[in-house]
Amino acid sequence: MKTKDIVLVALFTALLIVLGLIPPIPLPGVPVPVTLQTFGVMLAGLILGPVRGGLVLLLYVVLALLGLPVLPGGRAGLAVLAGPTAGFLLGMIPGAILTGWLAGRPVAQGHLAQGAGVWWQVLRCWAASMLGGVVLVYAFGIYWMAHVAGMDFPKAVWVMLVFVPGDACKAVVAAVVAQRIRRLNLV
Amino acid sequence: MNAAFYVVGQSPIHRLPAGRKLATLALAGAALMWVHQWQFLCLALVLVLGLLALSGVTFRQLLIQVRLLGWFILALGAYSAWAESPALALEMMLRMSTLVIAAQLVSMTTPLTQMMTVVEKVLAPLDRLGWVRAERVALACGLTLRLIPELALQWQDIREAQAARGLKPGVLTMLLPMLLRTMRRAEELAEAIDARSSG
Repeated sequence: MKTKDIVLVALFTALLIVLGLIPPIPLPGVPVPVTLQTFGVMLAGLILGPVRGGLVLLLYVVLALLGLPVLPGGRAGLAVLAGPTAGFLLGMIPGAILTGWLAGRPVAQGHLAQGAGVWWQVLRCWAASMLGGVVLVYAFGIYWMAHVAGMDFPKAVWVMLVFVPGDACKAVVAAVVAQRIRRLNLV
Repeated sequence: MNAAFYVVGQSPIHRLPAGRKLATLALAGAALMWVHQWQFLCLALVLVLGLLALSGVTFRQLLIQVRLLGWFILALGAYSAWAESPALALEMMLRMSTLVIAAQLVSMTTPLTQMMTVVEKVLAPLDRLGWVRAERVALACGLTLRLIPELALQWQDIREAQAARGLKPGVLTMLLPMLLRTMRRAEELAEAIDARSSG
């Protein structure tokens, strides 16, 4: 872990925090305004890779639990761990790791980065974002919620499905944006 | 940044050492998992509310932080009552409310610096084992906190620059410039840190 890696992790965590403090955005056709949290999972994994991306989310979660008001709405604290949504928060860490791992190494400019190669990269990033940032996070979240509330796992999945379209859009934006950054080979 | 979260005070709760508060919370949480009678859970809730009163944190201040969780608990309780049994739902709601309030109370009476000290103490043995480099963790934490205002300003800058150019600044259009600047900043910062530590 070089200094630059630590700096990148710290910077990205700070970025996640700043993005998280932006008020939720209403999207047409989605019942609940979308927050930028899952976005952070996707971007961290796609841009920094599984190890540093995972560390970013770990730092984010730890700081939130320690008391930094970085959760949506300026919230923070240990209460989240005691509540039904703990799985969603903690699940962001493996989510970023999975996204980073599935997206693979960035392909440097000029090599598969033209034409159809770009679309393939974006698609791969999108799939990685969906599987890591959405499916895995929800899996953790729903599992924990079902466990503490005695809720039926399949029924809980149905409830969560309402969020998927919004998240699919987020994943598209994340993939497109991340792809532009990955190509530049800055990391 | 810490505005409405940590409640300044000198109550007995505030003065308890952070480590002790956290350990008690963890133990109490584990213990409550084994309690199933609603009478005892009620007692626990009343006890926690008593501690809340003792701490000087008002219910209103607490509510701001846990309101969202409160709605979740109610919704899950309603579902649980319908899908399983009202008794189970009540048990779950009592236990969860108690733990949520207790956890938030610890958070709201313990400033970040004290929490950080606990983290240092927990990491110390791991550091000696060679599993974790505690100074790196400290560097990362410190950097993140320091960079938040800087990045917030950068976000503002980008918004103004785009507005000045006649573009309508939305999160989506601002994301790419923000990320680019952030990545480039990493380079400068890393050099500065390396220079300082070797000089």
